[in-house]
Amino acid sequence: MPSQPPLPPLLTSYLSSQPESSLTLISSILGATSNWLVLRYLYSALSTSNSSNAAIGFDESHNGAKKVVLVSFLRGWEFWRAEAKRLGLDLARLSDKKQFAFVDGLSELFCPPQTANAAPSPSPISAGFPARTTIPLRGPPGAVPGRAPVSALPALRNDNVARSPAELGVAKKLHFSGRGTAALDALEKDIIAVIEQLKAANDESEEVLLIIDQPDFLLAATGASMGIGATEMSEWVMGLQQTVHTTALTVAADSPLIHNAAASGNQQSTPVEGEHAAFAIGLAHRASSVMQLRTLETGAARDVSGVLRISRGGGLSGANGLDEKELLYYIQRDGSVKVFGRGES
Amino acid sequence: MAPVNLSHRRTHNLLLISKLLNLRDTASPLTLLLDSLEQPATPLIQEYIRRAKLSKVHVTLVAFETVKRPDGCDAIVYTRRKTPAEIIKEVTAAYQPVASAGPSKRRLIIIDAINPLLSSRTVDPNFHLPSFLGAFITPTKPAALKSDASLVVTYHQDIPGFPPQNPYLPSPFSVLNYLATSIITLHSFSHILAQKAARDRSLAAPVFGLEEEQDGVLLGRLDKLVGTGAAEGIVLELEHRRKSGRGVLEWYLLPPASRYSANHVKEIVTLLDDNILYNPPMESAYGADEEPQSTFELGLTDRQRRDREGVVLPYFDAQHGDGPGEGGRILYDMGEEDDFDEEEDEI
Repeated sequence: MPSQPPLPPLLTSYLSSQPESSLTLISSILGATSNWLVLRYLYSALSTSNSSNAAIGFDESHNGAKKVVLVSFLRGWEFWRAEAKRLGLDLARLSDKKQFAFVDGLSELFCPPQTANAAPSPSPISAGFPARTTIPLRGPPGAVPGRAPVSALPALRNDNVARSPAELGVAKKLHFSGRGTAALDALEKDIIAVIEQLKAANDESEEVLLIIDQPDFLLAATGASMGIGATEMSEWVMGLQQTVHTTALTVAADSPLIHNAAASGNQQSTPVEGEHAAFAIGLAHRASSVMQLRTLETGAARDVSGVLRISRGGGLSGANGLDEKELLYYIQRDGSVKVFGRGES
Repeated sequence: MAPVNLSHRRTHNLLLISKLLNLRDTASPLTLLLDSLEQPATPLIQEYIRRAKLSKVHVTLVAFETVKRPDGCDAIVYTRRKTPAEIIKEVTAAYQPVASAGPSKRRLIIIDAINPLLSSRTVDPNFHLPSFLGAFITPTKPAALKSDASLVVTYHQDIPGFPPQNPYLPSPFSVLNYLATSIITLHSFSHILAQKAARDRSLAAPVFGLEEEQDGVLLGRLDKLVGTGAAEGIVLELEHRRKSGRGVLEWYLLPPASRYSANHVKEIVTLLDDNILYNPPMESAYGADEEPQSTFELGLTDRQRRDREGVVLPYFDAQHGDGPGEGGRILYDMGEEDDFDEEEDEI
């Protein structure tokens, strides 16, 4: 099979042009994850070789070379760096150029913040355990301590310590403390600080794209007992949305998380199901476009990984011109993605 | 539906919807829009704003989920991290009626989604929804500068609510339903058509989006739904409660905004029953006068018809009951062209 362009041609128009202060919701399920689509977003915003549009003469700030802040709650920096590298995107270099910033919501979210610049001897507990309690769904082998032999842990930690000063600007680590909206406000402040850093870095393009990967994890991990519900999370997203040009969000839309609590199902639902459904559906109501990933209804296929449905969301500032579409995609062995219509190949 | 009835509805109910959408005479102080992901209320809200602008009504948007101010909106009040009391205060402050001269100006307050407020955890447990909504319509300030305010509240039906703190209180949705003077439920026209097509064939009506309960599907809406052709627009199911207590139920069709200019004044909403796609005209009286074409002459001449009518069929004769064996005989008068054969035609 011939190698695919990093940006599937059918998706370019959806990935590159979002109206101002728009919200794009990407919903995924367990069998059809959204990582590849997030990476395509990163690529379309960050790569500068995207000259085909620039040649036509649209205003050039709109294609390529935007600034991106990626907040990830389920996957670590290593994962994104490695995956982006496969697309030919060097995130570490881009973050040195202040074009990209990564906010790590995974590795230390629920541990007490350490003093900056890595204290000389962080206790092994705080280095080892938290990562284990919030294991990512899928990460590169090296970054998952659970899989590494125990003896390797100190080495890993040393590695972290050695790297942290260089990475300080890159991977801001989020810490959750307190409860309720105060805790969310603290997270918001941290993220906005990163956004402001990027904005201040150089002024040629002010457009910042904010990608929040699976904030629903935060909701599930805190929940009502911490005074955080769907409304508070939506407000949190809205606060971030107001500081950036465009926002893209990924949430899980697996059936149990959505349908158990949805109005149509009348069985008793758990608080997590209810909050998650309210959060995800509420976001879809606000979004200007919704990209839904799912597996084929007819079962697994050898040359189709899943279905991507692009629809308009319910937002008042919705992109009215958006062309609704349903496409198939296939993730190849080398990580490249082919996107095609039904019946085509 | 009898045609007389339809024309009656056409006159009265079209007038009603036009009155409601144009906010005339404060026909409905509290309008509840029930929408879902399959048909968001956005087009209808834009239509409200468009009409309000035409008639110079002041529009305030209370933004629970909108970030950018929509065109034509005079004021936007963000509700993030604000208590209901603060929201009311800001909304009231957003509009200062100019001097007392002239007729009081009308005002439209749109709440883009009430759900976040209803499921918020930070809101005071003593929060009282009716008085919150009432405060918009009749501000507590001295009524000297009274303005006629209409409130349009959107409620997303598909966002699950939460069990109320107090099990003896009605759910917020019931309260809203009870308070509203008109309720508009929105449907996608193409879905209505698909459901009607299924009903006409006595099939189970199809469901869309979340109701499909399919893994990973939030929205089912696609532009080109199979078999519905150019079905654009949204269907409004209106329930209006008159002051007299009588309710009016009607289904309307609001065409998409691209079909008319922003300054269009004439009523654009039509009855759903008048729509050609929903209610295709009966293919009336085809072939009532025509007869099938054939090479045979199937008609009768006048003479033939007279002769045929003159024939007395045997069973008429039998009904006289002249005794056994008498009735039912076949009496035949020989014509001159008949060839009588003794052996064969013996009776």
